[in-house]
Amino acid sequence: MDFANLAAQLNAGTILPEGIVIVTLMGVLIVDLILGRTSSRWIGYLAIAGLLAAVVALYFQWDAINPISFTGGFIGDDLSIIFRGIIALSAVTTILMSIRYIEQSGTALAEFIAILLSATLGGMFLSGASELVMIFISLETLSISSYLLTGYTKRDPRSNEAALKYLLIGASSTAVFLYGVSLLYGLSGGQTELSAIANGIVAANLGQSLGVVIALVFVIAGIGFKISAAPFHQWTPDVYEGAPTPVIAFLSVGSKAAGFALAIRLLTTVFPFVAEEWKFVFTALAVLSMILGNVVALAQTSMKRMLAYSSIAQAGFVMIGLIAGTDAGYASMVFYLLVYLFMNLCAFTCIILFSLRTGTDQIAEYSGLYQKDPLLTLGLSISLLSLGGIPPLAGFFGKIYLFWAGWQAGLYWMVLLGLVTSVVSIYYYIRVVKMMVVKEPQEMSDAVKNYPEIRWDLPGFRPLQVGLVVTLIATSVAGILSNPLFTLANNSVANTAILQTTKVVSTQVSAIPPEKPEGL
Amino acid sequence: MLSVLIWIPILSAIFIGFWPSSPNQTSRIRLVALTVAGIVLLWNVFILLKFDISNPGMQFQEYLPWNDTLGLSYQLGVDGLSILMLILNSLLTWIAIYSSSKQTERPRLFYSMILLVSGGVAGAFLAENLLLFFLFYELELIPFYLLISIWGGEKRAYAGIKFLIYTAVSGALILATFLGMVWLTGSTSFAFDAVSTQNLSAGLQFTLLVGIILGFGIKIPLVPFHTWLPDAYVEASAPIAILLGGVLAKLGTYGLLRFGLGMFPQAWSVVAPTLAIWGAISAIYGAVIAIAQKDIKRMVAYSSIGHMGYVLLASAASTSLALVGAVSQMFSHGLILAILFHLVGVIEEKVGTRELDKLNGLMSPIRGLPLISALLVLSGMASAGIPGLTGFIAEFIVFQGSFAAFPLPTLLCVASSGLTAVYFVILLNRTCFGRLDNKQAYYPKVLWSEKTPALILATLIIFLGVQPTWLVRWSEPTTTAMVAAIPPVEKTVISLLNQE
Repeated sequence: MDFANLAAQLNAGTILPEGIVIVTLMGVLIVDLILGRTSSRWIGYLAIAGLLAAVVALYFQWDAINPISFTGGFIGDDLSIIFRGIIALSAVTTILMSIRYIEQSGTALAEFIAILLSATLGGMFLSGASELVMIFISLETLSISSYLLTGYTKRDPRSNEAALKYLLIGASSTAVFLYGVSLLYGLSGGQTELSAIANGIVAANLGQSLGVVIALVFVIAGIGFKISAAPFHQWTPDVYEGAPTPVIAFLSVGSKAAGFALAIRLLTTVFPFVAEEWKFVFTALAVLSMILGNVVALAQTSMKRMLAYSSIAQAGFVMIGLIAGTDAGYASMVFYLLVYLFMNLCAFTCIILFSLRTGTDQIAEYSGLYQKDPLLTLGLSISLLSLGGIPPLAGFFGKIYLFWAGWQAGLYWMVLLGLVTSVVSIYYYIRVVKMMVVKEPQEMSDAVKNYPEIRWDLPGFRPLQVGLVVTLIATSVAGILSNPLFTLANNSVANTAILQTTKVVSTQVSAIPPEKPEGL
Repeated sequence: MLSVLIWIPILSAIFIGFWPSSPNQTSRIRLVALTVAGIVLLWNVFILLKFDISNPGMQFQEYLPWNDTLGLSYQLGVDGLSILMLILNSLLTWIAIYSSSKQTERPRLFYSMILLVSGGVAGAFLAENLLLFFLFYELELIPFYLLISIWGGEKRAYAGIKFLIYTAVSGALILATFLGMVWLTGSTSFAFDAVSTQNLSAGLQFTLLVGIILGFGIKIPLVPFHTWLPDAYVEASAPIAILLGGVLAKLGTYGLLRFGLGMFPQAWSVVAPTLAIWGAISAIYGAVIAIAQKDIKRMVAYSSIGHMGYVLLASAASTSLALVGAVSQMFSHGLILAILFHLVGVIEEKVGTRELDKLNGLMSPIRGLPLISALLVLSGMASAGIPGLTGFIAEFIVFQGSFAAFPLPTLLCVASSGLTAVYFVILLNRTCFGRLDNKQAYYPKVLWSEKTPALILATLIIFLGVQPTWLVRWSEPTTTAMVAAIPPVEKTVISLLNQE
């Protein structure tokens, strides 16, 4: 193979955005080594600039003519671009939040950012990975960085405990995932590339054999862990409560988006002939997540724990789009994850701001906040109401699209369950709004009574304010002005080859099995 | 032209919400809100004058594409069914703002929420797209929750959350039905004229219609789903109660007429007998429970349940006359409930209690509240259906229009109208008549500004009572057209059976 041919097959330009992130990561590390602590004033902005440059690079890759690169190991199609964008943007906002938070905890900012950037890198590669080893490596990059981030504030025993829990559960679920992946390698006669595996399984006439089903279940265990779908959710509440808050913000959006990107790519490419089966499993996961997430969130007293259960529930909503398995279904997932980025990061920014000023994140301590900090109250109220799906905020349009796509695909009971659990979710989201807005001045909590004077000129507060205002505005108007986002989401699905070709395969194959479960 | 009714209140709500805080801001903000509401009211009157009465279809239509993926478009229009509701909405908004206290706590939030609600309700009445309607319908949820639970009475937290949950459930039911209506008929858009349910099987039509009835039945409210109403009405402050009872309940009956009768004429004529009995039960229930109340605001709240029962009866009968009656009853109930809640609010503020056992002798000319009591007598009579007042006209048209179709339920409703007179006589007897308690009767004077809203409403009630054409002329062509779309019952049953 001559060099020109090899270069064409590598097609390394596809991973330019990741390349920029790698350079930024190196830059951050080296600058920190040379300059030491003095660099922490601007090193965050360096990382943000790098990530934004990566997003711009992603923009120029939209509708790339030849998205397949690294001899099939990585596909830079529009679906991967949009997920990589979501992950990069969630890292940007996380850095905006963490500049002050990490300073205050007395740990090094540059190290934190370096680990965060490698998690971002893992997530971005995972979104486009289309080869088993590549998937596993990027998944591990994301996971290992996440363990480190969770235990980053190492003097805090809760953070340590959370990191241990996350590590033990995460490592074992990765192992389960690895078993599934190695089964796939064996079943397909030694293929590691996703579409080749599908062909190999068909060639070996193993379409719906037990081996494929076991591999499927093992793989779903790994995916379910990343998107924190019940019953693989147990780590979520504990990790969310113990880990530094910016880390959770990243885990709830970036890591979850990576999990969904993996789910779409893996399930549609490798398992088209057991589509009924994985849809059935995901229906069970979605039903459990929606019920458990929303009902248990009612009984939480800690803000971070409540949002942990809320994120389990939101994963359940997003899975409706995955089960629908239509173009509209995938597009509604993408759209929901986009608006979820705005609302969740806005909510977490407010929580960080509150805990920076008062040092607590109990829900009861928010009582009477509107008097002392109107901007924070507005931001948290809008983002929580949007998470609850109140019009005309972004979350309302996201949920409507999910339900509409689900209804179109005939998932009537799922949609009805989604509607009912949305009503439940309004109750616990409004509880926080009630604490902040409705309570009288004399019912103010101690934390709010001693609320420090609001100053945005302290070091690290300005980026928090910028993050808050930008996500707040996005949450408020992304619904009303949603047309560009809808077009983006629809195009990303329509222009993605794997979703368009596998649909043909799955309809051909699913015509073969004699019995189909009703109503799925 | 119609967009003005939605966007002026909403934009000024945002503007007021971000008003920089300053001392002495309450009266200034109240003035701004009052001006905005006044402009909207004038604009609404202007639209009413330009309204072509002979046209049964939508008028002043506006269309903007919005979101094709969802089939959501910004499509507005007004017809005979909604024009009166619009004017009721802007009138009561103005009155609610006018009758709000000049010392309201946190005025920015208060007035901004009221204007937001006003714009949202106008949007729901104007929408010609199911999803747009739902968007505006759900927009009321949070502002009303805040309005009840911040500026309410003692148990406001409980009442607010109860209202929120009931309304959210109602929204979920309605959304599910809308999704079903659009998807099952194979339409790609949620626009009213794109959705035609005629070709669905009988079973599906019934299922969807039941969804509509339950969803809007919570909001109206019909009897088993009404338990949020007494709490919400009683715990809300007077201006909010006016909006809740006067405007929000109408959203429920309007939805029932527009989406239940308008979109499922076949299935509607089959469920109509059940609905008529349901309406009669609601009416009797509301009246009987009101008799047992010891709190005047609770009495008025239950009277509202009773009066909405008539609307259900009339919608079930769905003769041309009955539908005119339904619309008139909605409008006049809005006026009467508003004046009653306003007067009860004034009495509570001046006397300091709402309990029947403590109130006495308010009719006393010097030390009592004579004008307020007189107006209370007048509005009680209007509510009970005494001729010469608008309540009588509306109820009479309802009964006249429904009797041919459902004689027994109509008779039950007439009986409940009699019971309404009973509890209003109890109310008036215990509050206005009798002697004042000499130890406690040192009530503050009623200011002119507090009397004005009641006087305006009373004038309207009397005027429409003696000059009822002004009440019924707006809706006649539209309701006639709606009735013409309903096939006769026997034919419907046969055609539905044949489909099976």
